Amino acid sequence: MTDVIKLSVFRYDPEKDDKPFMQSYEVAVTKPGMKLLDALNYIKWHIDGTLTYRRSCGEGVCGSDGLNINGVNGLACITPIEGLKQPIHVRPLPSMHVIRDLVVDMNHFFDQYRQIQPWMQTTTPTPEHERLQSPEGRKMLDGQYECVLCGCCTTACPSWWWNGDRFLGPAALLQANRWIVDSRDELTGKRLDQIEDAFRLYRCHQIMNCMEACPKDLNPTAAIDSIKRKLLARKS
Amino acid sequence: MKLTKEPGSARSGIDDWYWQRLSAVMLALLLPLPFVLIISVYSGGVDQLGLLDLLDHFVSRLLHTLLILALIVHAYMGLKVIFEDYVQQIGWRVTLIAGMLVVMSGFGLWWLAIIWAWGG
Repeated sequence: MTDVIKLSVFRYDPEKDDKPFMQSYEVAVTKPGMKLLDALNYIKWHIDGTLTYRRSCGEGVCGSDGLNINGVNGLACITPIEGLKQPIHVRPLPSMHVIRDLVVDMNHFFDQYRQIQPWMQTTTPTPEHERLQSPEGRKMLDGQYECVLCGCCTTACPSWWWNGDRFLGPAALLQANRWIVDSRDELTGKRLDQIEDAFRLYRCHQIMNCMEACPKDLNPTAAIDSIKRKLLARKS
Repeated sequence: MKLTKEPGSARSGIDDWYWQRLSAVMLALLLPLPFVLIISVYSGGVDQLGLLDLLDHFVSRLLHTLLILALIVHAYMGLKVIFEDYVQQIGWRVTLIAGMLVVMSGFGLWWLAIIWAWGG
């Protein structure tokens, strides 16, 4: 690995700039196994304090630093510098309204998440202790609950680019499936009713960019197919 | 602030999805048959009278009818999805889908008239 990493970073301040531009930086390699977020932090702390981006946990759990890295969406904090073609092109998540530099407006994304009502809904009385789940029932949640809502999958989906106002997108639908398959949730039918729609659900054309983009190696396409199969089973 | 006023689910979409796949399966089964017929004619296995006898048979007409119906349903569903994807203005989208439905229905009726020799 070279001692210096070259980056080309998207810059845009709507209050000052007429249009976005790419700014070049050279960052010293400070430690082995350095991640892209370390390089952005280096720029922020040592070169250019005006660079703006989101970050929090720094270990792929909070989902704050979803970025477009050399054309592919991913989390900066778990993307190793090593192996990335240089200069590393760092852009905000595609199709999103840029607030400043690498920070995008996630309001619509989280509004769509709220639409699938991501909490347990039941009709039976609350038991004295917790609602129990068998190991088999719990296993159904694997590959669903790990989503950190970084937005990498949804903003990589061409169907969401075209019809993002109505198509819920892979992240929200993965989360919808997480509650549909949860053995403790008792309003599966209502959940299916809410997403049975030509635009909300069936805009997914199995392009599978979501699967490629997910930094947690989840498969939203399979989750969406699972919902479609449940709707088919309900109708057939 | 919400970017869009959420209209809720239209409780539709599964029928389109279902018919698109059902018609695809029918096409996969039926579409090779005309090609087999064409190859048979060009290879000399079937002459003109033999071809007419084959096409005239009731089972052939039935399969031909199923093929053309599957083809029209599949093309309609596929193009409808494309219009829904790319045509953002609802007025244009509905007009294009309706126009396509009229043209394809007309084409289908014309073809069925040929298959079943309506009008003698």
